[in-house]
Formats: sequence, structure tokens, C-alpha cells
Amino acid sequence: MKGLFILFFIFISIVPVVADVPVRQEQLIYSIMAFNGKDYSGTFCGENSDTIYLIADQDNFITARKTLVYYWPITGDWKTDTSALNYPFEGTLELTEKGRESRIINPERYTFYNIKGEYELNWEVATGDEAEKAWQHYQGLIEQYWQATSQYQQAKTTFDMMMNELAKKITEMRNSGIDVTELVEKLKALKSPEAPQPPDDYIVPPSPVQSAFILNLPRGEYNIRFIDGDDAVLEGSEKRVVVFEKRRADGIGFEVIPGDKWTRPVESKSPSSVLYVDGTTNLYLRPFFQDEFNDLFYQKMVKNDARGNPSLMNWVRIQQVPGARIELTGNNHTSEVLLEEPFYVEQTKGSALGYKIVPFDPEGVHKDRDPSLIAFRVPVNRERSLIKIKLLDKNGLNLASSSRQVRVIIKSRWQPLLFLLCLLPLLAMAVVRIIRSRKYSL
Amino acid sequence: MNFRLRAASVIAKRRIFESCLSPGFYIAQAVGLLLSYFLISGFVSSIDSSGFNYMLHPLYELIGRSLAGAFGATFLEKLFAEGPFQFVFYVSFVPVFLYLSFSTVFHFGLEKKVGAIELLAYGPVDGTSYFLAFYIKDVALTVLYQLLLVLFLSAAALLNNLFLGPAFLYVLVVIFFMALMLYTLSILASVLTDGGASAMALYIGIILLFLIVMMGSFTIASGYVRSFSSVLSWVINWVSPFFYWGLALSSVEAGNTLNYFLILLVMAALSGLFLFLSHLVIKIKGVRP
Repeated sequence: MKGLFILFFIFISIVPVVADVPVRQEQLIYSIMAFNGKDYSGTFCGENSDTIYLIADQDNFITARKTLVYYWPITGDWKTDTSALNYPFEGTLELTEKGRESRIINPERYTFYNIKGEYELNWEVATGDEAEKAWQHYQGLIEQYWQATSQYQQAKTTFDMMMNELAKKITEMRNSGIDVTELVEKLKALKSPEAPQPPDDYIVPPSPVQSAFILNLPRGEYNIRFIDGDDAVLEGSEKRVVVFEKRRADGIGFEVIPGDKWTRPVESKSPSSVLYVDGTTNLYLRPFFQDEFNDLFYQKMVKNDARGNPSLMNWVRIQQVPGARIELTGNNHTSEVLLEEPFYVEQTKGSALGYKIVPFDPEGVHKDRDPSLIAFRVPVNRERSLIKIKLLDKNGLNLASSSRQVRVIIKSRWQPLLFLLCLLPLLAMAVVRIIRSRKYSL
Repeated sequence: MNFRLRAASVIAKRRIFESCLSPGFYIAQAVGLLLSYFLISGFVSSIDSSGFNYMLHPLYELIGRSLAGAFGATFLEKLFAEGPFQFVFYVSFVPVFLYLSFSTVFHFGLEKKVGAIELLAYGPVDGTSYFLAFYIKDVALTVLYQLLLVLFLSAAALLNNLFLGPAFLYVLVVIFFMALMLYTLSILASVLTDGGASAMALYIGIILLFLIVMMGSFTIASGYVRSFSSVLSWVINWVSPFFYWGLALSSVEAGNTLNYFLILLVMAALSGLFLFLSHLVIKIKGVRP
């Protein structure tokens, strides 16, 4: 009996410790690599979802595969477990547009990459043999880099050994009272070999060549289904494809970084929006181009099980505005032009946690470091209650929908007056009642 | 026709005078202004170095969480993009609007039931001029309250260095037109039924139906309300004031001002249609209880 009780006690103790493993379901999914306006984002359309969302006139990559799908309650997401099961189906995709004939899409080998340019958006897609070439080119660059790295490491080892030997020799000779000037000069003349730089041709290097159905469609609604090798429709493969486009493009948004909370930036996206601040710290702004999409369509394109508002349009950050300037107008209508500057984020000294953003000093205290932030510094304080900002392009021209207001909120000492104003109707009511009662009293 | 208008204007003046004597209108205004005051104070307290953060004030935390949960973060972001005044205006408008429309529905139904309208109909007044008088009263008092609200919000903006925002003016006008439509619906509900209670029930039912459909379209997809409302919405939206309100404001947001004014015209035309329907109903049914 006692043993049974101990066993029961151990069981009770263990139960809460055992993790709750989510139930995995084998499902046919469409794995989607969709272009989201600035990047490629991966998602999947499982059995629970009947629609795939894609941006119009862009290359999107879709594959049909069997995998394990489970719900992860911590983040509230549906996820795939491809390590246990990841079986890609071989066949073709039948695409039907409403009122038109179906067409068959065959899988193609592809890769995509983003090359370095003035803007961040230089995505390129290569298919077929071109994809192989692009991948081989990148592999070649990587190989060259590793060879150079290997040579560098050898040279560095030789250099370090020579340095050590010379240093040892100098110490010994100095201890023996021998003149070491010649050896010291030789030591000074030695130069450390330079480390090779990794290839910087790409911002995002080519992905390994894979095979997928490439969907580049104009705006509209389509239906797809997967046809396997036996010309049979794969059960559960029928999906609706909503292809949408941006409503407006090249709007200007601002990433706003408060001086005391640099890790918590906010975004000002609506062109008529006003930025209210308490005026305790300066603001650091980073302007970006933005496009406007339907909120639901965009969210579901990035992540198929996401939620969004179908009645609203949302601005989406696309890329930074290069070479821009900010024209700043204060209370006294004098304007000044701000330029982008580098800044460094320093942790505040003492026991209190916090940061402060200081100008980057590459020659002084920040030597051999990179700036933490490149932004426009907008000085804000309680004396400047209204600041109007306007973004100019590199030619000094005003960029449309880039105007914003920064307003410093200061609680007025006249607040009680505002409260009394609310009671004005009640006062009016009292006056009317008094007049009425006097008029009709005997 | 002139007779009818004259009768309507005389009764409307009397009604406005009565409203000014009764405490209800003043209390509704005070409630509306107090709501504005607390919402603006809350907004001011929700500002820190990085801007508006609804988590900083308990009232706004509740509002922010509820709105973001139901309609999504984008909705919340857009609602407060220019400041608090759009939201404040909606909230502050509700008490006076409800007071005016409910009192119209209730009084019309009651007066019809006790035979007061029938009695007047033997004189120079008919049912149409009687309900037109109610309508004129509602419109006049709404304009008065909107003016008061604009003055109050402007004072609040000035004191706190806030900005009413360009969208505020559009909201102000579209809410007025939306109220016009809802007042005509209150009259339609009154003439369709025989008593105050049944008229009130019908009117509340109509408002709730329109609200559910509107909220469904704004609710983030996959919510229960959305799937329920999507079935109804395709028919109901074309007569729903809330639908036109949403449509007008999205036109403004997209920079299509012409569309905004066209929608206002449609709202005015629908108000006229509801009034005409009320006229037909009262003509057929008569004013007897």
C-alpha cells in the first residue's frame, strides 16, 4: 500500500513536467514562396485553408507535398514538421481563371537572389539552366572566398610565428646587452596579411536550385488543382488563388526611434498621421518607401493562417529612401534641412538600465566599430511644441505624402476649465428650469 | 404641400422648444461632453517619448485591446493616426443621437397610440407633416450639438496641443448624413408600428442589424460575426447608413473626394426615400392607432 502511494505520488509529480506534444497530422500542403513586395516569404496552405494569396505580376513558387502539420499554441501558429515527413509530389498544376480555359503549368527549376544595388530591391529570378548557372556562379564565389581564407590563415600563421620568433630573439639579445635596433626595425616593417572579404555581390545569395510551379499572374481569382503522374487529380489539392495588387505605391513612411527607446521603434505610415510625443527625448527618423495593400490579402500572403481586416488597406514598408533629406519647420516658421548621420548606441553608465544615442565618432571612441544607426536626428524638446517635417529627395524635390507633424503634448493647467465646459449643458438646464419655475410660480 | 411644410415647421418649432425645456437633451449633451473629456485626457496620458501607446492608460488599454482584438491592429492604428478626435467624436455623438432618435420613436408611437395625431389630423395637420416635424427637430438639435462638440473639441485640442486632423472634418459631415438616415429610419419604424414599445423594438432591431453587418465587414477575417454577416451584408449594405459611412471614409483615405461627396448624395437620397416610404405608409395606414 505504501509502495502504491509512493508510485502515485511520483506519477502526480511527473505529470506537470511532461511537455504537451502537439498532435501532428499528415496533410497535403502547398508550400509557397511568395514575393511580398520587398522579399520572399515562405508559408504553406494546408487542408484547413482553401485560398492562396499572391501579389500580381511577380514570380511566386509553389510545390505540392505531403508533410506533418501541427498547431503550436505558444505562438498560435500552424507549423509543418518537414524533418519527419517531407514528400514532394511529382506532376503538373492545372490553373483555371474564371470564364477561361484551364492551362497546365509544369514544374521548373529555379533560384532567386537579391543583388547589391543602390536600392535594396534588386530581386532576380533565374529558371532552368540559368538557375544552375546563377547557383554555380555563387558557389564559385564562395569557393574562391574559402580558398582565399585558407591562404590568409596560412599567411597569418607564418606571420604570427615570425613575430613570435623576432620578439623572442629581441628579448634574448636585449637581456644580453646587444643592440636590437635592426631587429626592432625589421619587426616594425612586418605587415600582417589582410583578411579576405566575403563576396558582396549579393544582399541575399541565390537559393539552392529547386523545382516548383512558378505562378506569375495578373490580378484576379483562379482555381488550381494538382494532377499527378497518372493524370488523376490529387484529392484535397483544389484551392482558390487570389492574386491582388497594390492600391497605391511609393508612399513615404517613417521609422521613428525615440532616443530613450531605440529598441522599440514605431512607424508613421498614414500620410496624414501626427506624431504625438512627450518631448523628453530626441527622435531619430528613417524614411522608407511604402506600398498600400489590402490588409487581409497581404497578411495571408505572408502567412496563410494569419488574420487580417478585409475592409482596410495597409501601408507596407518596402525599402529605404536613398539620399534623402528632411526639411524641418518649427514654431517660428524657420526651416532647416537635416542630413542623414551615423549614430552609436551606448549603454548608460551606472546601475540604471538604459541607452543613449550619441553621434558616431569613427576616429575616437568608436574606432573600429560600425555605427548602430544611420538616421535623421530631429531635436525635440518641450519648448518646440510643433515641428513639421517634409522629406526631400536627393535632388531637393519634395516627396509626395511625406509631410508629418510632430507635436509635443504638454498637459495644460487649464484642464479643469475643460471639465467645467462639459457641465455647461447642465448649467443651461438649471437656468431654464429656474426661469420656468419663476415664470409659472404664483 | 405648402400647408404641410408650414404645419411641419410650426410643430417642429414647438418640439424644439419642448426639447429645450426638458432635462433629457441637456443630460445627453453633458454625458457626450464628459465622455469626450475623459477620452481626451486618457489620450494625453497615453503619450510617451515614442508616441501614442494605449497600454499606458487603463481606459485606453481596455479600448485598444478590444478594438485591436475585434478589428485588427491596422484599424486601431488608422483610427488614432491623426489623434484621438475621430474616436472621441464617434463616442460623444452617441448619447445625443440615441436620445433624439429614441425620443422621436417613443413620442411618435405614444402620441399615435393615445390618438393625439388623429386628433390633430382633423385640423390642418396630417401624419406626414407630423413626422416631418419630428425629423426637423432631430436635425436641428443634431446640428446644434455638433457645433457644441466641435467647439469643445477645438478647445481641448488647443489646450493640449492636439490636432483635429483633416479626416475630422470629413467624419463630422458623414456622421451628420448618417444621423439623417437613421432619423428617417426611426420615423419609418414609428409609422410601421402601432405603439411606442413596438416602434422602439423595431428601430433598435434595425440599428443592431446594420451594426452587426458593418462590424462583420470590419472584423478581422475568420471571426464568427464576419461569417454570419457576410450572408446578410450583400443585401442589407445598400440601405445601411453604416455601410455608406465606411465607404465614404475609405474614399477619403484613398484620396477620392469626389466619391465621398457622391456617397453623401446617395445618403441624402436614401433619407428622402425613407421619408417618402413613411409618407406612403402613413397615407395607407392612416394615423389611427
